[in-house]
Amino acid sequence: MISRIVRSKFLIIVLLIGMIAVIPGEVLASSQDPDQEGDYVIIGQLLDEQDQPVEEAVVTAVAVDGEQVVAETESLEDGTWRLLLMEVPSGEIQITIEHPRFNPQTLSLNVNELSDLNNIGLYQVGEIILNRHINAGFWAATLIFIGVLLLIAFEKLHSTTAALAGMSAVFIFSYVGGVFDPGFFIFSFERGLSYINWEVIFLVMGMMIIVAIIEGTGIFQWLSFQAYRLSRGRNWLLVLILIVITAVASALLDNFTTMLLMVPISLQIGLAVGINPLALIIPEILASNVGGISTLVGTPTNIIIGAYARISFTDFLVNQTPGVIIALIALSAYVLFHYRKEFFKESSAISPALYERLEENARLDDPQSLWKSGLVFILVIIGFILGESVHLSPAVPAMIGATALLIWLQPDVHKMIIAVDWTTLVFFMALFVVVGAIQEVGLLGLIATGMASVIGDNLPLGIFMIVFGVGTISVVVANIPLAAAMLPIVDFLTVLIPGADSKVLFYALSMGTAMGGNGTLIGGEANLVTAGITNQTSTPITFKEFLKVGLPVTYITLTIGFLWLLIKF
Amino acid sequence: MNTKILCLTRGGEGSYPNQDGAIAIAKERGQDMMFLYISNIEFLDHTAAPKVIDMETELDELGEFMLIMAKERASKAGVTAQTLVRRGFFRKVLSEVIEENNFETVILGSSSEDTGIFNEDLLHEVTCEIHQKYEIEFIILYEGEIIKTYQVETGSETEQEDYEED
Repeated sequence: MISRIVRSKFLIIVLLIGMIAVIPGEVLASSQDPDQEGDYVIIGQLLDEQDQPVEEAVVTAVAVDGEQVVAETESLEDGTWRLLLMEVPSGEIQITIEHPRFNPQTLSLNVNELSDLNNIGLYQVGEIILNRHINAGFWAATLIFIGVLLLIAFEKLHSTTAALAGMSAVFIFSYVGGVFDPGFFIFSFERGLSYINWEVIFLVMGMMIIVAIIEGTGIFQWLSFQAYRLSRGRNWLLVLILIVITAVASALLDNFTTMLLMVPISLQIGLAVGINPLALIIPEILASNVGGISTLVGTPTNIIIGAYARISFTDFLVNQTPGVIIALIALSAYVLFHYRKEFFKESSAISPALYERLEENARLDDPQSLWKSGLVFILVIIGFILGESVHLSPAVPAMIGATALLIWLQPDVHKMIIAVDWTTLVFFMALFVVVGAIQEVGLLGLIATGMASVIGDNLPLGIFMIVFGVGTISVVVANIPLAAAMLPIVDFLTVLIPGADSKVLFYALSMGTAMGGNGTLIGGEANLVTAGITNQTSTPITFKEFLKVGLPVTYITLTIGFLWLLIKF
Repeated sequence: MNTKILCLTRGGEGSYPNQDGAIAIAKERGQDMMFLYISNIEFLDHTAAPKVIDMETELDELGEFMLIMAKERASKAGVTAQTLVRRGFFRKVLSEVIEENNFETVILGSSSEDTGIFNEDLLHEVTCEIHQKYEIEFIILYEGEIIKTYQVETGSETEQEDYEED
């Protein structure tokens, strides 16, 4: 009993800390101490070739006459720096900028230029562009990232372990390798932590608790059973209804959870009506990956993209949903054609015992919890929408909703703690650090520059490259790390390409990563887990079977997604 | 308990021939049988997405459903069958179930090659391990036909042709 109370308090405290963590930074920043002031200030800003701020560069001012260091500072997160001088030297000042991953730069301020400093106490150097140089740290971070992707793709390690191994390797290179060769230094621990997007972590955590409570009510199994009853032996209608249920559920929960809920009951329905259950389940996987694109919380990649690019729940809904609906219609047409022999054959009669068991397995377990959790879920969605006007992070309504459900429904808190999949949260944290490392060493900048040189000012070409390029890579590469790595690249292209400030390239990234996941059985987490469930029966999904349906659907939906974005933007 | 034959099955269309083969053996011997379904959620450990579902219960329900289908097939053939759903690694669980009961025969179905998890080699390996320990008869089926038996008396394996001669 005591341990339950302790666990309950622990979970609520974690949620409250999370809420504080995602409160807009400006609110908290106002309470910070002002910086120490000097009599004379020289200010400037450091940017890389992609106009991204350069942090932790050492800026030193040396009085040329006496060769004496008169001031020294480090650039801040936004790349700005301030040299504070107690007095202005009589002669020239030489300012040196040094950073392990950039070529050092020196600029001189002569006596005339220093007159401003003398007169008003301030001199603005302005923006300084630093040129990167490729060093050992660049290669180390690049190899680590590729290694993590390979470990995940070939399932040599659990995804979380792979990401943690990658993060550890980054710090080993930085702190141990850096002792022998400063070029190995990638970033400090503090800098690494700054790459973790806490908004994503707490939004995912809040949604996990809400989803865990909703799934316990059995609503989706019940809906699937109703689809079976409604179809009355017409298997083509059954699969269409299941596609709609899966797509909507994926948009509101997430595609992975949706498939965990839908696959067991769909297997039973398929076996009961005497068709190959895969004819129901594979279309469901495809629909879950596409349907999730509609909302901010529909896929993990959308959560990451939304948090990074400040794309709201409504933005996703308005800008993606029509394209998703058209893609789902095309997807449905294709699977109806592909599985026409299964869908248009006569259903077998189901025995009373089987029907009874099916009904039992698809019952609403807890109607009381269903309406309460449904109400809270609707309020959370309203919170997402209303919160946009005050720039409230979606993580806040999600965590308030989760806390409200914990207090209102008093579920078994032990189960709720288990429901919060900590390994996934750790995976996200470690992954953000590893992706931060390749961003820090300039790999993503190089890719962005290369892409920019091909795309030029051509926005449709940019959308095409992101949708189809990312979509094709997603066929074989895990889409969460891919999306995380692509964000800074897309951000750079958004600034560079005229018209891209509508964030269309971020929507293209969302479509590419999610739709590309349909290409192969290893393309998405929902695919893999469904394969795992069907492996528990004698009708497992094989790589080849999935490829035959998934790959054509991938390119059909990518084409529709691309055309939709062209029309919309 | 009077049930003498244990049949491990995963259920579904691919299992029907082997289920029918096992039912035929039970009928021929005039014995009751038990269908065993073993679920394992280890596959969830290989994914990075949030696992908020009580998947073990979901798979239990799936297993129960598929075993009802197997039981109905047995019933149609005039064989009385019981069902059992267990969780865990199949070698370990199979050993536990054998230990808990008084079976004379264990029937395992080899899956077809393209979907093969329980292929003949794996079943042979597992059978040798368990057979030596419990000294009961093991029969391996493929597409409903006996392809190998492991007799109690000698502990030796017998290929299908020899079995038919016996």
